Parts: sequence; C-alpha cells; structure tokens
Amino acid sequence: MASSPTPTHATPTGPGLGDRRLIFVLGKGGVGKSVVSSTLAMMWASRGQRVIIAEVANQHRLSEVFATHDAPPNVATELAPNLWGISIDVDRSTQEYLASQIKIRPLVDLLVRSRAFHTFAAAAPGLAELVTLGKIWELAVALEGGHPIWDKVIVDCPATGHGIALLRTAGNVTELAAQGPVRDQAHRIEEVVMHPSATGIVVVARPEELPVSEAIDAITELRRDNFPVAATVMNALVKMRFSDEEARALADIVAADRVTDAALHGARAAHRRQVRAHGHLAHFTAATHLTPLILPDIGPGPITPARLGVLATQCAAQVNR
Amino acid sequence: MNLTELMTRRVVVCCGAGGVGKTTMSAAIGCAAAHQGIRVAVVTIDPARRLAAALGLSDLGDTPRQVDLGEMTGPGALWALQLDAKATFDRLIHRHAPDRAAAERILANRIYQHLSRAVAGSQEYMAVERLNELTEDPRFDLIVLDTPPAQNALDFLDAPQRMADFIEGKALRMLLSPSAAHGHLGWRMLHAGSSTVFSILERVTGAQLLRDLGDFLSAFDGMYAGFATRAAAVRTLLHSERSAFVVVACPDDAPVREAVALIDRLRTDQFPVAGAIMNRVHSTPSAHLDLGALRTAVMPISLGAPDDLIARINDQWIEDQVRADRDHDACVRLAHALGGHEILTVQELDDAPVDVHGLIGLANVLGAATDPPDGTHR
Repeated sequence: MASSPTPTHATPTGPGLGDRRLIFVLGKGGVGKSVVSSTLAMMWASRGQRVIIAEVANQHRLSEVFATHDAPPNVATELAPNLWGISIDVDRSTQEYLASQIKIRPLVDLLVRSRAFHTFAAAAPGLAELVTLGKIWELAVALEGGHPIWDKVIVDCPATGHGIALLRTAGNVTELAAQGPVRDQAHRIEEVVMHPSATGIVVVARPEELPVSEAIDAITELRRDNFPVAATVMNALVKMRFSDEEARALADIVAADRVTDAALHGARAAHRRQVRAHGHLAHFTAATHLTPLILPDIGPGPITPARLGVLATQCAAQVNR
Repeated sequence: MNLTELMTRRVVVCCGAGGVGKTTMSAAIGCAAAHQGIRVAVVTIDPARRLAAALGLSDLGDTPRQVDLGEMTGPGALWALQLDAKATFDRLIHRHAPDRAAAERILANRIYQHLSRAVAGSQEYMAVERLNELTEDPRFDLIVLDTPPAQNALDFLDAPQRMADFIEGKALRMLLSPSAAHGHLGWRMLHAGSSTVFSILERVTGAQLLRDLGDFLSAFDGMYAGFATRAAAVRTLLHSERSAFVVVACPDDAPVREAVALIDRLRTDQFPVAGAIMNRVHSTPSAHLDLGALRTAVMPISLGAPDDLIARINDQWIEDQVRADRDHDACVRLAHALGGHEILTVQELDDAPVDVHGLIGLANVLGAATDPPDGTHR
C-alpha cells in the first residue's frame, strides 16, 4: 500500500521504556492520555509489576476507565490486580508537604488556617505544580524493606503546555528559591525528573494534524532541555481496511440503491481517513526519529477494563519489558 | 443557537475541553461575522501552525493582523492575533506603573518573571486582560476569544481572580510586613499572628523567596487599583448581555461531560450562555445494508475474493452506524444540558480547516445550521 509508512528504526538513547520507573504520559488535550496511561499500566501489571497511575488536577478519568468509585484524594486505591491509582490533590499535598517540613502539627495548622497562606498558595507561581510533582516523586522513591514500593509510577499529565510546566516546575523553583528547604526539595525532585534512565516521558499523539504537530513541538522542546523523552505513542490509529487499489475500483462502481451507494461511499471515506492517518503517522515518525508504539482505534464508546485489556495486549507485543 | 444574533454582541467567548476545535471554531465564527459586515478580532491562544499561517500569524507578536479573506468582500473585516501572555503582562506593567523606574523594578523581579511566564493562571488572566484592551480599540465591533487549554475547562473562569488576588496581596502584605501597622495598636493586635505565620513560612521557603515576594508586592503598591478597576470592568462586560459564551464540544464522553459541567457552571455564575457547537459529528443514514445488492454492485471489480471485500465494506458500514448513533446521543445530552435549545452541529470533515477558504466553508456551515431569526426551526 502506497500509504503505509516504512518504520525508521530509530531508538531513543538510554534504556527502554520498561527499564524506567517514573513514566510521564504527555500530549494535547483529547489525544487519549488517560487511555494510554491505563494501557501501559495494565500491560506492566499483567507482567507482575506493581504499578500506580497518578492523575493530577482533579481529572477523575481513572474511576471512569476502571469503573470504580472516586477514591479520596491522595490515597492509593487498587483498581485491578497489581494496578493502583491515586488522584493527587493540591491542597492535601500542600498540607502533607508542610507537615513533613515543619513537623510541628500546631504550626502547620496555624499556617494552613491563615488567610495569607491561602492567597499565597492559590496563585504563587508553580506552587501547585511543585507539590503535585513532589507527591509523584515521593511515590517514585518510596521504599519498603529496602525495595521500591512501586515498580512503575505512571503520571497521566495535564494537556501539553500544562504538562511541560509540571515537568519544569522543580527546575524553576530551584532557581526561584535561592536557599532553604523548598529549594533543596525542588532540587531533589528535579534530579529524579530529569534522570536519563530513571524517568521516561511518553509523548502521545493521535493521527491528526494538530495533535501530531503539537507532539512534535513538545518533543523538540523537551529534548532541547534534556528531558528524558523515552517513547512516543500513536493512539487510535485506524485499521488499513481498504487498499488504494480497492478504493480506486470502488470509485468507479454505480450502486442501484441508496443504501448500497452510501456504504460504498463510506468505504471510500474510510480509505481516505486511513490514508490521512497513516500519513500523519509517517510524518510523526520521521520528524521525531522514533518509531511510535501503536494503539489501534477501538471505535466509539466508553473505555471499559475489557477493551483496555485488548489494548494492553497489543501494547505488550511492542514493548519488550 | 442563532449565529446572526451572536454577531450583535461585543464579545464572544469560545470555551470547552482541550482538543475539541475551539480555536478553529473561534476563527470560523470570526469569518462568519466578517461575512456579515462586522469588523471582528479573533484572539487565538495556541493555533496550529497552518491555521496560524492562514490567519497571518506566522510570526510571533500579539498585535492584531488583518486577515485576507480573498473571495469574501464587503464592509466586514477579520483581524486575528495570538495571545502572548508575557507581552500583555509587561505592557500592563508599563501602562500602570507610576514611572519607568517602578516598571523596571517589577519587570526585573524574579517572582514577576516566573508569574508572568507561568502557564497555569497567567495565560487565563492575560487572555481576559487582552480582551479588555481590545474592547477599547475602535477598529473592532466584535471580539471573539478562544480560551486557553486549561487543565479543566472551568479553570479559565477562576484563574484571573486567583491571580488578581495574589497581586493585590492584601493578606500577604500583612504577612510580609507586619510592621506596616503604622504604630496603630489595634491593628497590631489584630494581626499579631502574622509574624508567627511569617516565620513558619520562612522556615519552609527560605528567607530569599519571601524577600522577593515582599519586593514584588511593594513594587505593585499604587498600581493595583488600576488592575482591579480593569478586572471589574471586564467582569461586568462578561456578565452582561453584550457578551456571549459558546461552549464547544466533540461527541466523545469526556468532552461532552466537560461541556455539560461548563454550561452548569456558566449558568450558576450568571454568564450569558448563547449556545453550543458539537464539532466532528458523524452521520450515516440508519439503514440495513442488503449484502446481495452490495455483491451485485461490487461484482464488476476483479480484485480477488469479493466476499472479503464485501465483508469489510459491511464492517465499515456497521461501525459508521454505531458511531453516528453515539454522536447523535452525545448531541442529545448536550442539548438537554442547554435546556432543550438547539445546538449547532458540524460534521466530521476530511481535514480540519487550516486555510481561509476552509474557515469560510466552516463559517457557512455554522451559518446554515443556524436557527432562522423567527426561531421556529427545530
């Protein structure tokens, strides 16, 4: 088929995706970051790893995907065997962070109750992102009996600009606060987030113009600033159902009735969509020098654990570990 | 929703979840308005490159550029600009600072530099400020505002106020300079707790950060009133009948849910909701495909096994129908949230419009889908 791309066998520098512990899933709004996060999580969980998905900014997508009730914020909840989810709440994380730093409960309460602190916390540049990232970092470095509690921490990031801001926040704070506990903490977080083998950023696109160009721009920016881009994903890629030859032949036939005509029309429209989608895939691959993980279009309807299982199996065939 | 009526407003705000086509719809509404003889400015936040190029925004900078509408002529005109939050913020500082030295002091402050570049908050705040600036520009009858890709679609309503509160920093000022009590005993007693809070906070942040914050707030002294006046003016405008909010969605679960939540919230806060656009709707006539008739039609093609091709065409037909049904349900849900008002639907296009011609086409689609002025169309 003329439209199918030749994969370029470029590999990212550093270890494969499966060898990293902290995974950030990034992409434009609407590309399916939650589905990709959940698919990766399910794949690794089925291989016996202990996986936690962290969602930020009150998205509540996980409870939909796994058909569970909303868990209380900042509490790890089991969604499936080996697979946990946590919804990171900024207020709660701020209090937890202050408690860990100040250690004297009444002082924490005094601070948290003060109006001045609330105005500060609500708009201080980067504070919300820093405590969110701090909570994620905690998950990534948490030990139990000398072993990491989580084999994989998967972060379902907010949309591209906000997602990159989240990744940058530790570096920004390190720069902003010249000294003190906040600065030290931010520096520790920054080291983990930027670590070329501990952390991996997965950039997700859909085979459409805007998401692809946004993903390419994000990768360029992240690479320029030495963030560990580990993999790309092309989500919801339509099947190659009709060949170019078939599409050409179908264009020439005349149907006797309206419905048949509509169906032939539908087949040709599907062919145009698949050609366009695979064109976007080829462009994405060429522009990023990465062969994306491909997740098929699973059609309309809500994501269910069963459909997620299908995606995870497809994903497993493409990810070694 | 009536597009013609929409054009009589001063401001149209397009909002909705990320990835639903807000920017494209904003541009198309702008095109449609220009077509009706209106002088319109479209404020885009983060247009795709080809759309930006089509709108003449390929170079950076946030001054309005007039868009060449080619085949479309008349008294109307379309202008477009891309929001540059940092540039807008800097311009505000220059405008409101008492003198150049005061402006420079703020621009050089590290808190300011981070604040003005912060993605969360600053963009929303400056979108509203830019809107305010443009309403003062006599060149424009109508301003169409695309909203930033927020973490959730409601953010842009709250972020400007949060940011304004921070800059005003009433409570923070007390915290950072308890000595500013002017020796007034009552005041001092009232705020005796502040110094304690200050010292706790300092233990966490380090002294430098709080010193920078104190500098930042004192640099804003005497300027805040200007900011507050503007914020109040824009709030009044956005709540008035001179504005209209258009909620954009596409027929996937999450965007529809966000759109419904957004409509509820806008109504609760008494913003004028004009209607909704459902983008990328698939429609296929619901009908049974007669495989015999399909076989007869496909027979002349000699490409190997016809059964296989017939089965695939049928699969596609069924899939298209399922998708069309789902999209129809999504439209019903959105219309229900709007209280049974008609929503505008835009069919899934082969490619998102990325040039002026495409935008005019989309504008025509929006215009054609509009209720006639008597409102009898259902």
